[in-house]
Amino acid sequence: MKNMHTPIAFTPAPLVFQDEALAEIQSMVRACMQCGTCTASCPNSFAMDLAPRQMWRMLLFGLKQEVLESRTFWLCSSCYSCTLRCPRGLPLTAAMAALKRLAAAEGDAVNRKKALFYQEFMQNVEQNGRIQEMGFMCHYFLAMHDPLLPLEYGPLGLKLLAKGKLHLGDSTQRGRLGPLFAKVRSMEEAS
Amino acid sequence: MKKEYGALVVGAGIGGIRSALDLAETGLKVALIDARPSLGGILAQLDHQFPSDHCGMCKMLPLTQRDQSSQYCLRKGLFHKNIDIYLHTELSNLEGDPGKFQATLSRRSTFIDSTRCVSCGLCAEVCPARVPSEFNAGLAQRTAVYLPVPHNIPNHYVVDLDNCQRCWRCYEACPTKAIDFKFEQRKDFHIVVATPDEQLAQDFPLWFKDENFPVHPTSSGEDALKLLAEGLDCGLMLLDLDLPQAEAERTLRRALELRPNLAVVLLAAPGKERDKDGGKDKVAAALLKLGAREVLAKPLRQAQAVPWLDKLFMRLVSDESFSIEVGAVILAAGFECYDPAASPGGCADLLLYGSHPGVLTSLEFERLASPTGPSQGLLTRPGDGKPLRRIAWLQCVGSRDVKKNADLCSSFCCMVSIKQALLAKRRSHDEAETTIFYMDMRTNGRDYQRYRDEAENEAGVRFVPARPHTILPGPDGDILVQYFDYAGELREEVFDALVLAVGARPPKSMERLAQAAGIEVNDSGFCATKYLSPNRTSRLGVFAAGAFGEPTDIRGSLIQAGAAAMGASRMIRVYHGPRDETPEAEPEYTDVSRQVPRVLMALCTSCPTLERNVDSELLHQRMATLPGVVKVVDVQRACTREGWEALRQEAELAAPNRVLIGACLPYVHVPRLRELGEALKLNPALMDVVDIHTASFSGRDTSFGGHAACLASCATGAGACDCGEGARTNEMGSLLAMAAAKLLGADPSTLPQATPVSPQALVVGGGLAGMTAAMGIADQGFKVVLVEEAEHLGGQAMNLRYTLEGDDPVRFMEDLVEQVEKNPNIRVLKDSRVVLSRGKAGRFVTVVATGEGMAHTLHHGATILATGGHEAKVYEYGNRVRKCVLTQLELEQRLAAGSVDASSLSGVAMIQCWRSREESRNYCSRVCCQGALKNILMLKKRNPGLPVYVFYRDIMTTGFAEHYYTEARRSGAIFIRYTPDSRPQVDFKDDKPVITALDPVLGAQIELHPDLLVLSSGVEPGDAAEIADLFGVGLTSDGFFQEAESKWRPVDFLKHGIFACGLALGPATMRDSLLSAKAAAQRVVRILSEKQLSCGNVVAEVRDTLCSRCGRCISVCPYGARALDLDRDKIVVDELLCQGCGSCMAACPNSATVLRGFHDEQVMAVIDAALAVQPSAAARL
Repeated sequence: MKNMHTPIAFTPAPLVFQDEALAEIQSMVRACMQCGTCTASCPNSFAMDLAPRQMWRMLLFGLKQEVLESRTFWLCSSCYSCTLRCPRGLPLTAAMAALKRLAAAEGDAVNRKKALFYQEFMQNVEQNGRIQEMGFMCHYFLAMHDPLLPLEYGPLGLKLLAKGKLHLGDSTQRGRLGPLFAKVRSMEEAS
Repeated sequence: MKKEYGALVVGAGIGGIRSALDLAETGLKVALIDARPSLGGILAQLDHQFPSDHCGMCKMLPLTQRDQSSQYCLRKGLFHKNIDIYLHTELSNLEGDPGKFQATLSRRSTFIDSTRCVSCGLCAEVCPARVPSEFNAGLAQRTAVYLPVPHNIPNHYVVDLDNCQRCWRCYEACPTKAIDFKFEQRKDFHIVVATPDEQLAQDFPLWFKDENFPVHPTSSGEDALKLLAEGLDCGLMLLDLDLPQAEAERTLRRALELRPNLAVVLLAAPGKERDKDGGKDKVAAALLKLGAREVLAKPLRQAQAVPWLDKLFMRLVSDESFSIEVGAVILAAGFECYDPAASPGGCADLLLYGSHPGVLTSLEFERLASPTGPSQGLLTRPGDGKPLRRIAWLQCVGSRDVKKNADLCSSFCCMVSIKQALLAKRRSHDEAETTIFYMDMRTNGRDYQRYRDEAENEAGVRFVPARPHTILPGPDGDILVQYFDYAGELREEVFDALVLAVGARPPKSMERLAQAAGIEVNDSGFCATKYLSPNRTSRLGVFAAGAFGEPTDIRGSLIQAGAAAMGASRMIRVYHGPRDETPEAEPEYTDVSRQVPRVLMALCTSCPTLERNVDSELLHQRMATLPGVVKVVDVQRACTREGWEALRQEAELAAPNRVLIGACLPYVHVPRLRELGEALKLNPALMDVVDIHTASFSGRDTSFGGHAACLASCATGAGACDCGEGARTNEMGSLLAMAAAKLLGADPSTLPQATPVSPQALVVGGGLAGMTAAMGIADQGFKVVLVEEAEHLGGQAMNLRYTLEGDDPVRFMEDLVEQVEKNPNIRVLKDSRVVLSRGKAGRFVTVVATGEGMAHTLHHGATILATGGHEAKVYEYGNRVRKCVLTQLELEQRLAAGSVDASSLSGVAMIQCWRSREESRNYCSRVCCQGALKNILMLKKRNPGLPVYVFYRDIMTTGFAEHYYTEARRSGAIFIRYTPDSRPQVDFKDDKPVITALDPVLGAQIELHPDLLVLSSGVEPGDAAEIADLFGVGLTSDGFFQEAESKWRPVDFLKHGIFACGLALGPATMRDSLLSAKAAAQRVVRILSEKQLSCGNVVAEVRDTLCSRCGRCISVCPYGARALDLDRDKIVVDELLCQGCGSCMAACPNSATVLRGFHDEQVMAVIDAALAVQPSAAARL
């Protein structure tokens, strides 16, 4: 099947309706009627480069590359406002998460880098049985290979520290969630 | 004996009224019931209707034989000799089969004797309770004793027992003792309590001592039963579930055996105990099934138990249940407006509804704009009274929302919002800024698109395609609305008020009603109907009218109601055989035109207020001196049979030729006047009833207690105000004198000769609508001639292959053609044309020429024009030139035939509204959106991966078709909005279409290379100019037939006796055509079922010698009853069409046109009588 449309303002998209991973996300938002309730409800939309409504539209047009280049879905903080309010009852937050996974798996270097935060977070949780902010951030900075990054986060870190929000090492729960993660992994492999 | 009716109509909104009138006019008796205490349904609350922005409900009233029904504002009341109205009444059970249903109706008491209530309002004045007023949509408060609708006739107060505080002040205040709380019966209402709880047994008699209820506490079921067996006339049994289960059950069974009508109430403690064993609930449920009335939660407290039981007692002794026998049932229970505050799933919090006074529902706005509303029609904000100058409407609140179980479009809200925006503009002298936020503006009626265009371009209503989500309180009590526009900008606007266009929900009582009537409901909770039999419910003999089967606007409701009436009427005739061919003999009246007027005046003296407040001797004297009055007699209780008999005897003695009766409730006496007329051989038009009761009682202001204070002082004799006995006698004297003057001047000459009716109908057009209409008439026993231009029956519907709902239109049409051709009552003339038609309702003569050169002369009483339409012909975009460009209809046919293979396609693009909804075809064709959706779903069914792109302006899937729109989107079709300014451009490359268009969501140009381009070209009417000319009916600028009134007379022409249906009347789906055809058929049956048509008593006449033929009267006549006869050089009046409105009389510069019954001299005499100085008043001065 030949791709039938060429959006002029965008680079030609890959084959529509053939990319299985994409098709799954598309099917989540197909019934969208572009009312924009999601966009209006989104507390982070001010920082997004594509409005959620536009992003769903591009997704339906099969503009995978353009969507993955956007930072919109990375900015989703999973507050579920859009899912709650969508008059079509679409699982928009789940679609956002699916896009994050897709980007981490298939995306370019930029996307993989964006996914690092999530990866390090989960790794830290798996290891310690809960999040340990200090260790997590250290690993994250190392993974990012960016010497200036810690400086950027410095002021925030101090503020959090002053309020007692940063936990130093605590090994009481270490490895406690290991079996849970193992189970999830085996389920993922099975599916 | 059980009352028998032809049909039972459930719901007395406009749908129910239309159905009831349609049936009653053909001579069937109809019982019209409504759960509300008032007539008119939701329309009683709405003052303005698009497109005329007036009311116009009265246009539904019968046009012929109109003296059989009331002739005034239908919003106030309805009286028809064949319609019995039961308000506050619900259908509780329906048994039996079509033709012989047994319907059980339960009527809730209003506790006010309507024959006594004079609507003085004293009761409401003293009532301490305050609850939100239903009539004003909660914007105002009402008392517990209240007027349901302030403008009804008759308008009686009702008691809302649920909110009554039992202070009995209204009872004490009522001057006519109309309120009955059954105080006397309490001492005979024995209550048996069966409880092992000793404390309760002790308390109970003490609690109810003040109420005078005899209470018999017993400690076991056995003892209780013993009391019953001993013959205690027990009204209520309280059965404690702390008794052993078996004992409780046995007691209940046995008690109901002894007293089948005994009310048994269970006492059960909720809470822990229930959780522990879970048994009490089960026991209670089981006993409720056995016939227990309800469950009362223990522990009982006096403060709750006493009012509860007292109210239960009043209900038990006042409410009634009765059975009637009916041939068919029409359900017209209408719909409920979506309540944003309803939980679960409401959106009140998000939309600030309820928490911000500026956020209103559309119904509340309607009340705000109404002169009878809480602000007397001033558009001010309920909270702070700020004039509304910036108003926003928010569409689809509670509609098109799968999360609220509303995968449907409510159909009317878009037009309602446009109308309200225009109303706001007009009320504020164009100062108001009005904005409508919408997703799709559904202007899918024939003239609706133009209405919208006018609103947008001329009135300046702003239309914004967006769905605001965030509503916040703004500065100064205003409202901040945030929304994303199509360019992706977040916008903020401040409004004074936000109107939520709330959609339709099934009526609250739907579940009960569905169970009682034994019908199925659909997923959305509305009555389930089939696409190709839209007026029928799942039960044979039970029909759905109005918005009960699918949300629709007034026009749709009335058409659906007409179709339901047709179904019911047909059912009744099928099961009862042809109607008794013994029509009521036309009464013959003596010609009294050459006699000196002799008025007999009869005064009813039954009411105590009359004696108390009026000097009857003086009144007698004065009345006897009036010119023309030969005798004044007193009649005891004119409202009873005996009283009426006495009146008749008096009349026979005095041999008057005018009769004037002073009594109460004039409308009650109208049918009696007809009887009296027959007895005296005197035309009832020469009789009148004057309401002297109201006047005797409360002075001038009878509407809402305005005179109450004054009256109170008069009643005690202390007052020196002007409503004392003398003044009241004067007022009554004036009223009687006025009526006497009117009677004196009444024209006694006999009415013009009635037109005999030719019992045959002519249907022009043999398509779906024409054939359906012909069947509808023929099935009711009348002959029909069906004239079709083509050589085959079928018309446009033959081109359809499948429907959105999955029906088989091919088979349906084949069956229909076969039925029509085999029907012995239908004569089909194919390949024939009408060449000439003359005559008027009841008696048309039409000449039809057949293809073989034969000419048939037909005599028929009524005509239906169903000349149909066809797919519009569009020659652009390579249509009809290139293989890859099809219309929706062609695609449907090719998909059905298999010549288009969905699996071999790589992409399909569709363009909607192609050359529709813009001049020169500025109307929505109604069929294209649904046609596109059914093709999309078919394509996607065969090839799920096929990309389908739809360019649209607004998707017009009203009602349940919305579901398929959701489905189409879900299946993966992509919908791209365009505007007339930015149309998709089509080029061809390698014989394939290349479409470039702007996607407004992305704000970018896109280019598509589909295999197929499908155009929705819409429908056009057939060439009806010649037919319209032949029959003397009008056409719209688009060439459709112009009905008499787009809302209230949707299938009638101005010219009486001619009706239109189907595509020729306006764009229509198969369902629409079926409905309009059936409605039109019923209108025809109405005429044919009459032996002769006679005009009303009040009709206009022209005095030729005074007439200057200026023609002003012709243009002002709203019924098209007047014409200039060029041959005779005269203005002629069609007596059947003239409804006696008097417009012509007002317009005529020469007083050449006069109205029978309203001559100038007569009206002047009435005014003189009203202004005459009363002797007694003069004496007093």
